[in-house]
Amino acid sequence: MGLLTDPTTGQGKIIQILLNHHGKICVLLFLSSLVWFVLLAHNQFNAATYFSENALLPGLVKGDYSDDGVAKRVMEELEVEADAHQNSIPQSWIVAKFRQFGLDTYLHNFTLNYPLGKKQKYTGTNIYGILRAARGASTEAVVLSLPYRPPSSTNPTTLPGLALMLGLINFFGKQKYWAKDIIFLVTEHEQLGVQAWLEAYHGISCGLGGAVDYGDIDGRGGPIQAAINLEIHGRRLSRIDVKISGLNGQLPNLDLFNLVHRMCAKEGIKHTFYNKDSSSHPNDFVGEWRSKLNTLVSMVATQASGVPNGNHGLFHRFGIEALTLEGYEHGNRVKYITFHQLGRVVEGIFRSLNNLLERFHQSYFFYLLPASDRYVSIGNYMISLGVSVAALFAKSYVTWLQIQINGKRDTSKPKDDASIKTLKMVAADDPKTLNLVGVGSVILMTHFLGMNLLYLCQKFTSLGYFSTEDSLLVVLASFSIISLVFPLVIKRCFRISNNWILLNILALNELATLLLCVAMHNFSLAFIASTIYVLPAILIDSKKNSFYKKTLWLLLHPLLLLFWAVLFYTGFTFMDLSYLTILKRAVSATKTTLVLSVVDTFVYGSWPFTVATSILLPNWLMFWWVLIFSESRDCMDQASKVTKDKSKK
Amino acid sequence: MDRVIILECVLASLLRFWLSHSEYKQIIADRVEVSTPVNSWKRVLEGSVLYDEGIDPYKGDIFHETPFILVVSNWLMHNFSPTLICLIFIACDILTAVLLYKTAALFMNELFLKQEKEKGGYAPGTEDLHVTKDDIKTPPIYVLSAFLFNPYIICPCVAQSTTVFANFLLAATLYFMAARQRILCCLCLSAATVQSIYPISLIAPIYLYFYKPGQAIKTFLILVSYVLLFIAIFLFAFAQLDGGSWNYLNSVYGFVLTVPDLRPNVGLFWYFFTEMFEHFRPLFVCAFQINALFLYVVPLSFRLHEEPMLLATSLTALSAIFKSYPSVGDVGFYLSLLPMWKHLFHYMQQGFFVLCFLIGTSVFGPTVWHLWIYARSANANFYFGVTLAFATSQIFLITDILFAYIKRQFALAHGLERILDGKEAKLILD
Repeated sequence: MGLLTDPTTGQGKIIQILLNHHGKICVLLFLSSLVWFVLLAHNQFNAATYFSENALLPGLVKGDYSDDGVAKRVMEELEVEADAHQNSIPQSWIVAKFRQFGLDTYLHNFTLNYPLGKKQKYTGTNIYGILRAARGASTEAVVLSLPYRPPSSTNPTTLPGLALMLGLINFFGKQKYWAKDIIFLVTEHEQLGVQAWLEAYHGISCGLGGAVDYGDIDGRGGPIQAAINLEIHGRRLSRIDVKISGLNGQLPNLDLFNLVHRMCAKEGIKHTFYNKDSSSHPNDFVGEWRSKLNTLVSMVATQASGVPNGNHGLFHRFGIEALTLEGYEHGNRVKYITFHQLGRVVEGIFRSLNNLLERFHQSYFFYLLPASDRYVSIGNYMISLGVSVAALFAKSYVTWLQIQINGKRDTSKPKDDASIKTLKMVAADDPKTLNLVGVGSVILMTHFLGMNLLYLCQKFTSLGYFSTEDSLLVVLASFSIISLVFPLVIKRCFRISNNWILLNILALNELATLLLCVAMHNFSLAFIASTIYVLPAILIDSKKNSFYKKTLWLLLHPLLLLFWAVLFYTGFTFMDLSYLTILKRAVSATKTTLVLSVVDTFVYGSWPFTVATSILLPNWLMFWWVLIFSESRDCMDQASKVTKDKSKK
Repeated sequence: MDRVIILECVLASLLRFWLSHSEYKQIIADRVEVSTPVNSWKRVLEGSVLYDEGIDPYKGDIFHETPFILVVSNWLMHNFSPTLICLIFIACDILTAVLLYKTAALFMNELFLKQEKEKGGYAPGTEDLHVTKDDIKTPPIYVLSAFLFNPYIICPCVAQSTTVFANFLLAATLYFMAARQRILCCLCLSAATVQSIYPISLIAPIYLYFYKPGQAIKTFLILVSYVLLFIAIFLFAFAQLDGGSWNYLNSVYGFVLTVPDLRPNVGLFWYFFTEMFEHFRPLFVCAFQINALFLYVVPLSFRLHEEPMLLATSLTALSAIFKSYPSVGDVGFYLSLLPMWKHLFHYMQQGFFVLCFLIGTSVFGPTVWHLWIYARSANANFYFGVTLAFATSQIFLITDILFAYIKRQFALAHGLERILDGKEAKLILD
């Protein structure tokens, strides 16, 4: 029980060191977190991927798919058909084809009640067909999905993918070994279609306030085990890019990714991950490290947004492992990938999935990939976040200790006296001086307002004073400005305690907890947030802060931060434009981003916006409150000068 | 002071009322940390519907509350609107808070008087440690605020879990104990016991409160016979309410004691018993229940016989940690009692860690739960790890406060300087 009861633990040597050098220690911890992250790209810190799930038996059978004549023929028909439907999905043609190849074919109608503004309605139709398993009782299913893009769509076409899918349906239908139903799903309206279909399939709504009316579907297979999404842009492809990042940063099981990697390698297809292939440079350590770091950072940036980078991303939240194969049209390459090769890859993947005895559970769900054949496990990458969170805790612990030994230090007594301190704590930590009421009300108020902000946004846009985009910005900006000015007014008009140390401690703890929790869901978002917020949060002092610190913290306001990110991105993309144009574009892009993130919250149940308004913003305000009520360093210096002068006299 | 109390009560009621009518209510009510199979309001409603249909709710595995709750909830369901029912829960919570406030006020007064009486025996130079007249005014307010604005208390109230009533009965027991009302105290203790079994251990501090020198055995016999009598009356009345059937005994108390439902909660039972071989079950059920019910009663009573209120608090806390179906409502209850020992806080050393862990695990629990149940990317071990950390931090807290008490007593008796044979000494609890 020594750990629990030794009264000197509070004043040990480590604690003394922490007290004297906490600034340096915290900054060191923060920097080491960055260094660790950068090191993760090196081969010493990541590991080669491997199969955990033996049941997959990847690539053990010889691929049989050879008849790509069907796909090619269908492709020609399809192009004619697509031209006839410039804005919509050629429903009857696809249904007819599905039926011709022997699928149970169904239509699924859905409606979107646009959650903002005047509540407009949009409708769409998905088409899906089920290939009933010859050797099973429809207890499990796998999905091959595809977003249908009409010619008017701004995104690159996916018609070749549909042709390939039809070719595969023709082939799959003739095979006898299927033990799981295979569902072929063609969706409309990109991610919305998939979301509505999944909600209808499972009979639950994920968004808020019934934004998606998912309708009803007639045909079902069993629980879906896995899904592959095809986005094939051309008949002759240069490479296949594998996309895994899902809604809210969720990832598919690593085994599925490995499976795709293995099948592509087997068929000799050039496949990439974030547009980088896994070619190694055995003699160029720096070059290899840099290319892996590049991939790692791309993955982190994509995952952090919490927006899926393909239709596969919406499957994850239903416990379905899914990823997207995106095929890029070949440029001038002599060697290209044919339907034949790609068909064999998909065949191999589905035959492996067909072997599954349990749902994916063996391999990692939490990982980062620096290349398509290397992975970093949660135990390794969490260290980098853990270290920077430790800096926050250290700072908060030191602040806590400082309350306890407040007043003792100034009298500069000899050190021997400090030992008595443990039994004779001074009365400086009297709750009255801790300003409990003030701290409590600030916490309660900021969080209450933050929790209602989303609701406020929705109400205000429906009033229709401005356009939806403008009104969102108006609500958020005015909320921000009022909440910024409020403490200033309070400080001017009322004489209230300027002791907000406890608020500082709680704010640090809240930020640390927030980062850790977000990291469990979406490491990338938490890591980026920690690189932005940890250092400034450590620098904030509960007693005195310079003007620069306040300005810095002001610039890190969540809303402004979004603007900086968008501005940076815009400036990077359109370097040749004038500053003013870039600024204008950035403002409008920020508005669009806000609308999109609010809509995503309502439609898909994505949480970054909710977390930002209900926790991050209140937390930011708590720090702001501390900053406002702490004295300026200049004033303190002057005051101490005056006292010194007086003592000289 | 009175104005502060009213203001706090109004504010707390508004907060609860707003939460009860927001979209968060359902989320909170569905949390396993808040609603257990025993106290969940959903199950109570289910039971009272079965009762309406003429089906004995105790025959199934849904309803595990007492017949009293069954009849009352049935009556409420028929006569009151949901808003009114929610108001009843809020009122009950506020009443509990006021009772705790009064308990704390009585206790602080007593503490001060006791100190004045014993002042002569204290070592010189310990004046800093003494409780002053000002010191005894604030803790009751802190107790009140700690109860009213405690998320662990607000959530069960919003979720309308029956822990609200259990807490009310516990608070009444403590109040009558501090007010030295013997019969009422025994009545409330019996009511709390038939509601949730575990408060029975509070008989030890109650005995210490009413004990008079020279009448040790007599007081004990009187107390025990009162409590047993009341419990018997309650149980008999329950059987009458349930139509003369004793089925409820097994479904209410048997359920709590033998732990057949292993749905995860903040406690330590579920994981352990899912992992265990079936034939060891009776042994470990006994071991776990003894740990929650009796194990600490005798040793703590010997050590804390001068401070029965601290004994009562620590026993409540220990049963909140170790009971079979704990919820955060139980945790919040004893946490809000702690400000009564504000004068011990100087000696507490784990305060910061406990605070961090309590905040951290409270947020981490639902997070990991989501990953396990919905995203399917985590597993039961993650969630158990969090509940284990939650329990550990609470144990740290209790040990810390008990040791702080001992350190303060030591300092009062021996002075502030800790010099042994000319060297600095360490205090270690063996």
